[in-house]
Amino acid sequence: MSVARFVTKRVVQGVGVVWGVVTVVFALRFVTPGSPVNAVAPLDASQETRRAIAVELGLDQPLYVQYLQYVGDLLRGDMGFSYVRGQDVARLVFLKLPATVELAVAATVLAIAISIPLGVLSATRRNQPADYLATLFSLGGISTPNFWLGIMMILVLAVQLGLFQTSGRGVGFPGVLAAVVGPEPFLDTLLSWLSYITLPAIALGTYFTALITRLTRSGMLDELGEAYVQATRAKGLPETLVRYKHALRNTLIPVITVLGLQLGTLIGGAVITEAVFSWPGLGTLVIQSINLRDWPVLQGCLVIIGTSFVVVNIVVDTLYAHLDPGVVYD
Amino acid sequence: MSLDDSRVDRRDLLKYAGAASAAVLAGCTGDGGDGGSGGDDGSGSDGDSGDGGDGGSGGDEEGEQLSDVNVGVTMGQMDSGLDPHDHAETNTDIIVSQAYEGLMGREPDGTIVAALATEWERVEAGTARFTLRDGVTFHNGDELTAEDARYSIRRIELEEVGGALPQAGDLVGAGSLDGVEAGDGEVTVGFAGLNPIVFQLFATNGQVMQQSWVEENDTDFINRNVNGTGPFQLAEYDSGNEVVVERYRDYWDGPAEVASVTLNASSESSTRVNRLLAEESDVVTNVPPQEVSRVEESEVASINPVPSTRVIFLQMRYDVEPFTSQEFRQALNYAVDNAGIVESVLNGFGASSGQPTLEQFTGYSPDVEPYPHDPERAEELVEQSGFAGAEIELQTPIGRYLKDVEIAQAAASQIDSLSNVSCELNQREFSALVQDITTGEIEDKPAFNLLGWGNGEFDATQTIIPLMTSDGALTILKNDEVDAMVAEAQNEADPQAREQLLQDLNAFLHDLAPWVFMHQQFSVYGVSGEIEWEPRADEIIDPYRARPQ
Repeated sequence: MSVARFVTKRVVQGVGVVWGVVTVVFALRFVTPGSPVNAVAPLDASQETRRAIAVELGLDQPLYVQYLQYVGDLLRGDMGFSYVRGQDVARLVFLKLPATVELAVAATVLAIAISIPLGVLSATRRNQPADYLATLFSLGGISTPNFWLGIMMILVLAVQLGLFQTSGRGVGFPGVLAAVVGPEPFLDTLLSWLSYITLPAIALGTYFTALITRLTRSGMLDELGEAYVQATRAKGLPETLVRYKHALRNTLIPVITVLGLQLGTLIGGAVITEAVFSWPGLGTLVIQSINLRDWPVLQGCLVIIGTSFVVVNIVVDTLYAHLDPGVVYD
Repeated sequence: MSLDDSRVDRRDLLKYAGAASAAVLAGCTGDGGDGGSGGDDGSGSDGDSGDGGDGGSGGDEEGEQLSDVNVGVTMGQMDSGLDPHDHAETNTDIIVSQAYEGLMGREPDGTIVAALATEWERVEAGTARFTLRDGVTFHNGDELTAEDARYSIRRIELEEVGGALPQAGDLVGAGSLDGVEAGDGEVTVGFAGLNPIVFQLFATNGQVMQQSWVEENDTDFINRNVNGTGPFQLAEYDSGNEVVVERYRDYWDGPAEVASVTLNASSESSTRVNRLLAEESDVVTNVPPQEVSRVEESEVASINPVPSTRVIFLQMRYDVEPFTSQEFRQALNYAVDNAGIVESVLNGFGASSGQPTLEQFTGYSPDVEPYPHDPERAEELVEQSGFAGAEIELQTPIGRYLKDVEIAQAAASQIDSLSNVSCELNQREFSALVQDITTGEIEDKPAFNLLGWGNGEFDATQTIIPLMTSDGALTILKNDEVDAMVAEAQNEADPQAREQLLQDLNAFLHDLAPWVFMHQQFSVYGVSGEIEWEPRADEIIDPYRARPQ
């Protein structure tokens, strides 16, 4: 199967999955207790006021009409209107998406920068102190809840030592980019950005770091025992070349797959980290929307998160087949 | 509090550490008049024709230097849009009240003061007249007119003007508006009946918007922008994340001492406290009891509690056994140690209550004490009620009110410890509980549940009418005597006579015991040592009154 056909097939499947997500998200509103009217009306609102609000929100329409209306609007790029905030949902959601992507990418970069060298070190120094330390780190990283780690880092590194900001996003990465060409001092802006993003990126990325470290270590151990590695050594290649040019490259194929999938998970799974650090992304918007019972915004967030996951999956599958000649597009 | 230049020093350590790791990681004070004040009814006026006010400060027009102090406020939740009429919750009110004002206002203790109206009077039983303040401008520079005030009142109350807004009825009562006339600097409002608390309602509700601005812009725009007459104007709006307002220099009561206010939110109480202790915020709301000592032990902030306008109670449906029995209902009041719960669960940040009306409200009866904790008396009353051996269930929302689940657990446990009653606790999502409470049918409501009620009008009827009269939207009681006493109070024009009627009503309700009376909730704020600021009873935060220490 050609790449084009493979991608087309996956996109069609992806559309089906997104449609499923949209349908489930829409249905959730009706199986969850509590009328959306209660999100708008005060507790002591009269029944007349409640009925008027329901009519204004279109909640008096039959369910299938509301569903078809919602899907139709989505196809036109209209994610609806937040009756709680009185604002356009698409704008709200897309304004928050960059912050979540920024945090997810920062966590991923941090994880890659730490985990791959650590995994290689652990594998090449098997059963030595470095290996034990790396294993202990990865075990700790996988076992530590990110909300606890976040709170502890805030208490020690931000409140006690004053090294970082406790919460918020500051200027964000776009602010750093703007400082490259703008009048703001670049180094100050960069450091300010780092003071905001470092702790949430560590909190979000620690589990991921530990996971990739273990994956890299086991992959390297497998590859180092392969016949082709013995052959390269027999040819007299330096050990550095054997490890990094041959063994590591093959190890990275499954690592890249996990990296890609994990990026999708990070976009959707940053809810707790964003809440702990008041990071103004989709996760915080999800929490706020649940608290406000703002269903249109919650639906918008979940659709975007679901779609992001599907898109990342398609890209990773395509890349995987491209990176590993042993895999055929089927 | 932060000055622009002070921020530079605060994270020096990071800069040094960050520089090393970056490559690797790739007022002046003013003394205007103290504003005017009005009675709870009848007429009132501004104290000195509207110049100055006790929160005001001098302006640079007089050559005085205005400060560049920024005050940071961190709440539990952000706004639900910036339309001052299209919301029904406190966090939004905190934000929009920086920029919007009503015809009348309130001091931090709830006393009514003049705002955009300098005088108000009851012309006749169903007519109130407001005289507008001269020289008030909206943030876009346009002058406030009587037409704007008229439009705002009609927008809130009439569906054909503002749509179905959640504040409908907040000014004169649902469906009661009987015309609004705008004259020369005056607005005359007609309404059905006497409405003895019409000025209390106007003092709490009814922020004024500019008619042309509202009509020229759509809902989305109005919810992301601000054009009020208040002391601060909008500088930045990042929905759900941060709102920055800056001093409005032409404010009628003088420009604010603080240059700007940054309002943000964190649903995590620990994050709010951390922001305070790291000096990133100056005021944080709802410090939970377990975090209080951490703030008090710090050198940078302190705890500032204030009795709020919210009462917490366990309501019992009058038509469901065993709650049909007055003895049984009283027994539960004797069984629950509400003073002990305030001490042990709330760290003392509450005041036990024995009537539906709070101490600072009109109609509070100083002669009514909370029920004492007396389990033996409770068991006797249960026997007398004929419901010995009753099995009851207490429903409580989760996380809606401060320590609600812990309070309900303690109350249920104390009731269950009676030898002749067993009580179980049912924890429910607030949205699910509200669905049952708000159907309008008393038969749908839980038989026994915990609820909280905020009353920003500082008048007994605004608690008793919705919760205890036969036609109340949330009532669990149908009692002819209560209805008659409320009706009498609502038709009494003399404030003192009305006060006595309401006190009698509260004493009657204490004995009738439709609730297990619990406590008045306190608002517990963490406040930076760098500012001087007093909290308000109505949970609104007004940085206009804040001063640098």
